Amino acid sequence: MNRPLSRRATLGGALGLPFGLAAARAADVPRSGVLKYATLGLDTSDPHRHTGAIGVQQAYVEGLTSIAANGAVEPFLAEAIDISADGRTYTLRLREGVRFHNDDPMTAADVVANLERVKTKIRGGWLTSAMRQAEGFEATDARTVVIRLREPYAPLPSLLSEMWILSPKSPGWDDTITLPIGTGPFTFGEWQPKVRFRAPAFAGYWQAERPYLAAVEFDLRDEADHALALRAGDLHVASVTRDKLRPLLRDPSLSVRPIKDTTWYFTSFNNRSPRAPFDDIRVRQAIAYAIDKRAVMNFVAGQDAIVTNQMVIPGHVYFDQATHDADAHARPDLDRARALLREAGVNPAARRLEVISWQSAYPQVIIQMIKRLGFEVNHVALDDVGAQRRLGQYDWDLALFESGPRADIFLRYVRLMSDGPNPVLWGGIQDPELDALINRAVAEPDEARRKAGYLAAFRRVMEKYYFVVLGHEQSLIVNRAEVEGWEPGFTWSCHWASGGLAGTRLRARA
Amino acid sequence: MKGVLVIGGALLRAVGLVAAIAIVVFLLLRTVPGDVVDVMAAQGDLNAAQQAALRAELGLDGGLLHQFGHWAAALSSGQLGQSLRFGRPVAEMVATALPVTLGFAAMAFALGLVLAMALAIGAVLLPRSMLPGLVEAINLWSIAMPTFVAGMGAILVFSLWLGWLPVIGNLPVPVVILGLDIAGQLAKPLLEELREAMAAPHVRTARAKGLHPVRIALAHVLPAALPVLLALSSVTLAGLIGGTMTMEALFGLPGLGSLVLNAVHGRDLPVVQAVVLVLAVGVVAINAGADALRRLADPRLTS
Repeated sequence: MNRPLSRRATLGGALGLPFGLAAARAADVPRSGVLKYATLGLDTSDPHRHTGAIGVQQAYVEGLTSIAANGAVEPFLAEAIDISADGRTYTLRLREGVRFHNDDPMTAADVVANLERVKTKIRGGWLTSAMRQAEGFEATDARTVVIRLREPYAPLPSLLSEMWILSPKSPGWDDTITLPIGTGPFTFGEWQPKVRFRAPAFAGYWQAERPYLAAVEFDLRDEADHALALRAGDLHVASVTRDKLRPLLRDPSLSVRPIKDTTWYFTSFNNRSPRAPFDDIRVRQAIAYAIDKRAVMNFVAGQDAIVTNQMVIPGHVYFDQATHDADAHARPDLDRARALLREAGVNPAARRLEVISWQSAYPQVIIQMIKRLGFEVNHVALDDVGAQRRLGQYDWDLALFESGPRADIFLRYVRLMSDGPNPVLWGGIQDPELDALINRAVAEPDEARRKAGYLAAFRRVMEKYYFVVLGHEQSLIVNRAEVEGWEPGFTWSCHWASGGLAGTRLRARA
Repeated sequence: MKGVLVIGGALLRAVGLVAAIAIVVFLLLRTVPGDVVDVMAAQGDLNAAQQAALRAELGLDGGLLHQFGHWAAALSSGQLGQSLRFGRPVAEMVATALPVTLGFAAMAFALGLVLAMALAIGAVLLPRSMLPGLVEAINLWSIAMPTFVAGMGAILVFSLWLGWLPVIGNLPVPVVILGLDIAGQLAKPLLEELREAMAAPHVRTARAKGLHPVRIALAHVLPAALPVLLALSSVTLAGLIGGTMTMEALFGLPGLGSLVLNAVHGRDLPVVQAVVLVLAVGVVAINAGADALRRLADPRLTS
């Protein structure tokens, strides 16, 4: 699905996007309807300081690229990107006629100011590490930006989809932006954290005649029951979990669609300070043999479950069919598991297994499978923060977790690196050889060789049994029938170059 | 002079109580595992060095005394600080949420009080009607029916089956549910108090004089029950804090309950501390106000 650019590749003009400009940008375009939307939250008014998955801020700020619904990188505020043969120089040609919400035109100098801000002032986020590899940024003319890197860095075009371009006149620019002035189809309106965010339409948006809606109102409440609100007509577009799905499927005014990338489920071992006997690969193998992946994933996602041994699913550019076909744990094998334990000299009855998970139901299924080997299991189910803390203590044996959609495969691999972000879910792997394999893949400009590089890294993960992939599910978004022109994208993003809120309309309710 | 001393003493006690609550809450919150950086890290893109830097930036790496000193100094100059999670002034967040909770609580309490008084007075005046039974029923309802269960039922009936009311931002239904709950808590003890007052000699005298029963109830019986009603009301009002929280969560009302719930989940301690402080001031003020009103209503308490 991800189609990163090849050497000397140029992004641009690939899509028949409605990018006719200012001619129809007049404020007299009729806009109607307030779309009520609820997927993810909004944690900060400073887009550069976001952490984690993002599903709201794309409405008012746009990236230099965006991720299409099929996972490909597509041009956005940069209409073309030229990558040098050595993969170290990126020349970005900016789209003409783009204006900020204060009506200032977007210039190359503005883009350079944003790149510098992320590099020098922001601590967290995927882009900060990418930007630190930059030797320099330069605006060679009003519409051209050159990024020079110390080393080739293949994920950059994907990561530039989160390089939010803001006017340097945004209040709080020197510290924390309090009122982001972006270029998106909607403006930053009234924000009540964890309650709601209202984004009125931007009359000067650069895509012809868009947006069609008068405003979008995001419901940001964590505790809200989206399923009830959808049925009552209080929400038009909302994410729902599968346990709430059945009554929604019976409602003819609702339709369910998956977001295209997946949440993947895995069983991790404590890799930072493993305790005997779980430092023995044979014991890890035995645990993996005890787990019936198909049964677990059926429990999670029913008939929509995707069972594989990789971090991506069939159809993804980084999926390897041969590796999938050779999955030793595709089916459980308790006899083999017991034989491995005997071979390792482990008496499961004499060993208590410390297991950490979030407060979900599916870990209980896995626990029961492992218990069949005879282990006594102490399962601790915690909330986000509790799990984060406990995992970081590395005083456990097994962790049962899942991880959500990402814009680029690198964002999955980076967590497996010794100094990667939030490595606790994967047991805090410390493996210089794995680091080197991932770095080699990241630095490889050629797509085929990069794929081989990532695969080599993943094979090492499998050989070492750092974690075992169980399978994938796609998160679900439900639309009411009155919503037109909106389909879920590749990630949780609500707006991208070829889709999202800019092209969404709202019909009157029947 | 004695009056001034009494008021001064009461004020000092109130300030001391609020300060003690604030300090205890500050200390208790520090025993909760995890901080706001853990919340951000759990979202997935902070490495260990970035987490440490962020903790230093937010002042979370200092000791307990350091953090308390910082917070107390800001508070003494009237500053509630910044939300660690959202980077917004806490005072602004509280000021946005407070009117919602106050309005909701005031409406629910007013409905409950009026309903309780109407039912109790009616039951005293018409002892053979269905009103005494209704007082019993509403009292049982308030004891047996959790407000969130009634809320879920109301959503099913009024929002999903009938389609009359929205789920999000629906105010009338939670006001009625909470009002009924309050009425149930007040009506029964008020009725008992009124019945006792009806047997008082001055009421018998009023009856003997041939006064209208409604006039007797309002002018001679109700004042005797007023101190008890005020005491019960202050307890009920203070208890509304918990009651509004569940209703706010269920019906998507952006009040203090939702604010503090999210702040606890997000380990946004300045917000939690500010909300608790506001609630503590509210509870102390309600109790002090009710106490003063009781003394006004019943001169025996001051003699």
